[in-house]
Amino acid sequence: MKQIEISPVSRIEGHAKITVQLDDAGNVSDAHFHVMEIRGFEKFLEGAAVEEAPRITPRICGVCQTAHHVVSAKATDAVFGLEPPETGKKLRELSLLGQYIHSHALHFYFLGGPDLVLGPDADPAERNVVGIIKKNPDLAKMAIKTRKIGQEITTVVGGKPIHPVTSIPGGQSKVLTSGERDALLPKVQEGIGLVETGLEVAKPLFENYANEIESLGPIESYFGGLTNDGALELYDGPMKIIDKNGGAVSEFDTSNYLDYIEEKVQPWSYMKFPYLKQIGFPEGNYRVGPLARLNIADSVNTERASALFGEFKDNFGMAQNPLLYHYARLVELMYCVERSIQLLEDDSITSTDIRTNLSEPLMSVADAKSSDKKMRGVGVIEAPRGTLFHDYETDGAGIIQRANLIVASGQNNLSMDIGVRETAKAMIKGDEVSEGLKNRLEMIVRAYDPCLSCATHMINGESSMMLDIHDSDGYLIKRQLI
Amino acid sequence: MVNIALELLASCTGCEISILDLHEELVDVLEQADLVYAPILMDVKEIPENIDIAIVSGSVRNEENKERLEEIREKAKTVIAYGTCACYGGITCMADLYSPEDVSARSFKDNPSTESSAEPSEVVPKLLPIVHPAGDLALIDYYLPGCPPKEYLVKDILVPLINGEEPIVPKKSVCADCERTMEHVEFDKIHRRVEGTPDPDLCFLSQGYICMGSATLGRCGALCSSAGVPCHGCGGPSMDILREPNHDVYNCIVNRISHISKMPHKDVEKQIYDIGHVVYGFVIGSTIMENKKVSLIPQLIKK
Repeated sequence: MKQIEISPVSRIEGHAKITVQLDDAGNVSDAHFHVMEIRGFEKFLEGAAVEEAPRITPRICGVCQTAHHVVSAKATDAVFGLEPPETGKKLRELSLLGQYIHSHALHFYFLGGPDLVLGPDADPAERNVVGIIKKNPDLAKMAIKTRKIGQEITTVVGGKPIHPVTSIPGGQSKVLTSGERDALLPKVQEGIGLVETGLEVAKPLFENYANEIESLGPIESYFGGLTNDGALELYDGPMKIIDKNGGAVSEFDTSNYLDYIEEKVQPWSYMKFPYLKQIGFPEGNYRVGPLARLNIADSVNTERASALFGEFKDNFGMAQNPLLYHYARLVELMYCVERSIQLLEDDSITSTDIRTNLSEPLMSVADAKSSDKKMRGVGVIEAPRGTLFHDYETDGAGIIQRANLIVASGQNNLSMDIGVRETAKAMIKGDEVSEGLKNRLEMIVRAYDPCLSCATHMINGESSMMLDIHDSDGYLIKRQLI
Repeated sequence: MVNIALELLASCTGCEISILDLHEELVDVLEQADLVYAPILMDVKEIPENIDIAIVSGSVRNEENKERLEEIREKAKTVIAYGTCACYGGITCMADLYSPEDVSARSFKDNPSTESSAEPSEVVPKLLPIVHPAGDLALIDYYLPGCPPKEYLVKDILVPLINGEEPIVPKKSVCADCERTMEHVEFDKIHRRVEGTPDPDLCFLSQGYICMGSATLGRCGALCSSAGVPCHGCGGPSMDILREPNHDVYNCIVNRISHISKMPHKDVEKQIYDIGHVVYGFVIGSTIMENKKVSLIPQLIKK
């Protein structure tokens, strides 16, 4: 039996591997998408003061850091029973929109897009953002400008472009001054033209690659995401589940997510496989993210994005093909720019009423040890890649006793795995596999824009300058320079 | 032309995003150097030979992180440990507060939304008993901490290196850039960061909040304190702490609070909460920090 390996899967956040097994006749017998790493945030949040979680958890992902920051703050609101003032919520939503603009632009132009802009069979040495810079510098500059808008929003509202800090239990720590608002607004307004130009480049690509859209990663699944009375919603709301035909399956208060979602462990991946608990595994496979959100939404509350949404629905209906995630991401990119402008033009955005404080002093850490008091808070938002859950249980002093996180990309894990396998079965015969074909398997994974973290590969390198300390089982404990 | 490689170990990718955050200037840097390997951005699958500058981010959590680090060290003339995880372990090393079995069990065996199962073991790499900063397992030519390093540093470091010159970077602590006023204020209670609304002009320590600024390497422009939240030490230890064997992030903060408030040391120590996450959060995996005689890290970590 032979095995084809693609390692690392490139142009995604973090490292992963694809393996394809061939039987003696050269047919694909099995294939998997492997996520290679676990860092263990759920465990090491234990013992942390819960107000630190919004500053620890962004380090789960440096691409969707603001999403973790904001959802973590929402969970801490719930732990302490604090309702942020309206402006506090609007500022959080604005920083989340900055997150989307950065992340969606990053993905389309820097990570996944080169497969479409330069073609799936382009020279792998050039099929990347550097290749785009060289071949089409104007497009590259536009891409850079678009993403920069998102990072500028996050810098002003979140305090830093990467790993922002201003979302705290009960609201925000920093007001948006009218001077900052006036400086930011025109920059964001430029985004409309930039996204329109991007769409002009992108739309023909979806026609050119209709075959790839149809054939790569075929799957039908349930979809899940937040809604706001049927409208596209990113910051808050109940979670809605629909079936593959668009029929409503359930709509629930996200604090009850444990009744609806369960996760399965498979031996070949550190990333778990969430599914709909009431339907079971694997039939209850559901997807999240841009495509899911457009499938679930009945409407989009901004002018240009609403028109794009209508066009998307007319063309694709209940869209299932993973490559359409790219298209959905661009529709959302327009929504995020327009919604950011709405929020910046809202006079209340510069209000100084941005945080709600605790009404009584916290129990001391020592007193909490002899008290039975427990607190719990669930925060849920739509991250760029899909619905994101943070759930913290604390003692009476707000020290975390248990944390549970369901990240967006996990919910697309089974669909990536199935998509890779089905496409490998349909396209691979024998172990002579072209680079372009391998790249097509990676394109399935990239379409979902997964956020992973890891590293692979093997080689031995020893240095005489090192002192290795092993434990009794032979594990390396420390290596020191001597 | 000088060639550059980016390698990402156990990390969040924020370091790579900080490089992209050069925005338009990224195009200028790429005109001066060849990017030959960067799995996050391009499809070169094998680490090429003869790399001039390798920028390594992240800590070493599993066997493959370690092998990747060793391979790129062999193949690169200059290795930069880029970001606090690569230099001192960063937040990933908070896992050292627990055993790897406990870390894995919380995700796979004992988790409220997960059907209890054995941990994955096919194809995936084995976890190492503890998490290491890249800098503890390989020879490093330049340490550039920061979570992530500020985007301007990429240019300030890379451009001189590309031109064969020694980069010059600021060496002050976060306090040097902070605009808040430090005052002696007598108090006897340390506040949790969730309590009350801090005065925007007064030093956090003067208000009884734990702020790591005086023990932390600057270069960030004190962005957190100007955004209304105390420093939590993401830049790694200050030069003073790195140079002085008896200075440690913990004792520096205790001394500073005691000095400002006139609280006796032992009262400060009694009230400092959650030392593992709040004080040592970004450096808990660092051998440099652990080996200091005054360090509390050996008492905190599980081996």
